Amino acid sequence: MFGYLIELFSYPFVQRMFLAGLLASISCGIIGTFVVIKRIVFISGGIAHTTFGGIGFAYYLQYTLDWMWLDPLLGALFFAVIAAIIMGLPMVRLKLREDSTIGVLWVIGMALGIIFLNAVDRSVIIIQEPVSILFGNILLISMQDIYIMIALVIVILIITAFLFKDLQILTFDEEFARISGINVFALNLLLLILVALSTVVLIEVVGVILVIAMLTIPAATAGLFTNNLKNMMLFAIIIGIITTFVGSMISLLSNTPPGAVIVLVMGLVFIGMLLSKPLFKQHKGSAVLS
Amino acid sequence: MNKKKAIEIKNLTAGYHNETVVENITCTIYEGDFFGIIGPNGGGKSTLLKSILGLIKPQKGTITIYQKPPAQMRTMIGYVPQYAEYDRDYPISVMDVVLMGRRNIRGYHPRYTKDDKTETVQALKTVHMDKYLQRHISELSGGQRQRVFIARALVSHPKILLLDEPTASIDKESQDSFYTLLQTLNKEMTILLVTHDIGVISSYVSRVACLNRYLFTHDEKVVTKEMIEATYNCPVDLIAHGVPHRVLEEHTHINNKKKR
Repeated sequence: MFGYLIELFSYPFVQRMFLAGLLASISCGIIGTFVVIKRIVFISGGIAHTTFGGIGFAYYLQYTLDWMWLDPLLGALFFAVIAAIIMGLPMVRLKLREDSTIGVLWVIGMALGIIFLNAVDRSVIIIQEPVSILFGNILLISMQDIYIMIALVIVILIITAFLFKDLQILTFDEEFARISGINVFALNLLLLILVALSTVVLIEVVGVILVIAMLTIPAATAGLFTNNLKNMMLFAIIIGIITTFVGSMISLLSNTPPGAVIVLVMGLVFIGMLLSKPLFKQHKGSAVLS
Repeated sequence: MNKKKAIEIKNLTAGYHNETVVENITCTIYEGDFFGIIGPNGGGKSTLLKSILGLIKPQKGTITIYQKPPAQMRTMIGYVPQYAEYDRDYPISVMDVVLMGRRNIRGYHPRYTKDDKTETVQALKTVHMDKYLQRHISELSGGQRQRVFIARALVSHPKILLLDEPTASIDKESQDSFYTLLQTLNKEMTILLVTHDIGVISSYVSRVACLNRYLFTHDEKVVTKEMIEATYNCPVDLIAHGVPHRVLEEHTHINNKKKR
């Protein structure tokens, strides 16, 4: 069995799979933690789903303009950042019902995606199946995708390293952030853009629809066991790495859809931890007085 | 009186969007005051505090902090909000909450320094919470948590301390020691406190005003029947909950003294 695993690792696609899982885990551990503690899961879902439109758009441009260099991930990135900016605009946040705006962007993204994909003649260019875009295929990741993911993860790491303190203040207490001289509007917008970047890192692994699972489950699981923001990120990354690896291995060996299996493993780990939590030491919140 | 004016409010009208919450308020809070504002929920207490903090712009009138606009004097003010606004699940220790207070005077820095940490421990000592440095905020009682948020305000060495309903989450037993702490802090800074709790406030503060859209002030630490009735628009004993007539009794008592 062990020898078989070693042999598997000699395949480039398995190495890429492992690398992609690692990158996805780093980005979901860090940004997912902010998503969970700031309770912006639904906004993140909206941003994630618009990437489907972006991927379709990239393929469409490949087909009509012959822009073969245009990686679908770049299209996804473009759409995700636009969606993040729209949702971060004060006009949208204050004047419209936020959840309705999210819903609208969500479905427009999906609709555009399917229209663009449908317009591409598949005998001319090779494109991913919509199902694999929606549910991911970590086994089919190209080296070019990996490079884009590495670049995005580096950007995420640098920005969060420099703004960690301010992001902590913002996510804990927005009013206090404002009176502390933090530009709350700009930082909120930046956080949404970071969510957009991490969404793009995740779609190749678990797909457009399951991004939200990867963004929330490892962080939520980590949150069960720590009271420290940095530790929560670290634990979430570790949980992400383990579950992604186990999930993709199961998928590889049993020939099942990897995105779905990874998310299922994560979900089971979360439920298991939740149920076994009382067995461990008395954890935070034992005294929620008043 | 040649005391310095810490907060000067002139003809202030403020609110949100097109709605006016407080109207035509004029009031001066002097350096060293322990000023209490009482009023019913929805009477504009938080709106007034937010105006003083510069979080909302006045619709009419002006506010100055030591003769300057609030936006420039941000670092002079320590603010203790109603704790109810926090997410108790947020993964953060007492130490980290108080460290946040350093952002105000230090501006952007990627990391907290040793100095920030020393100041944080010092501020927690002042509020007698230094034993709880590493505790998670949800593990504290209401009174302890309120002390932590005061420490967060103190860590930037403010000259003015604003408190919004500070005793809302504190049981009656802890309230006395809490107000005693505020009295100690008052030796070094001006304190402005808003609350709907009439019972407690009058025995600790040096000046009192009532707020319900309009502000009713009085030179002395006295809440008059007229102020209360104008503020609450209802008979006094109805709003005095649990401690009927207490406010009125104090009022007549002090007035009698003055007449002598």
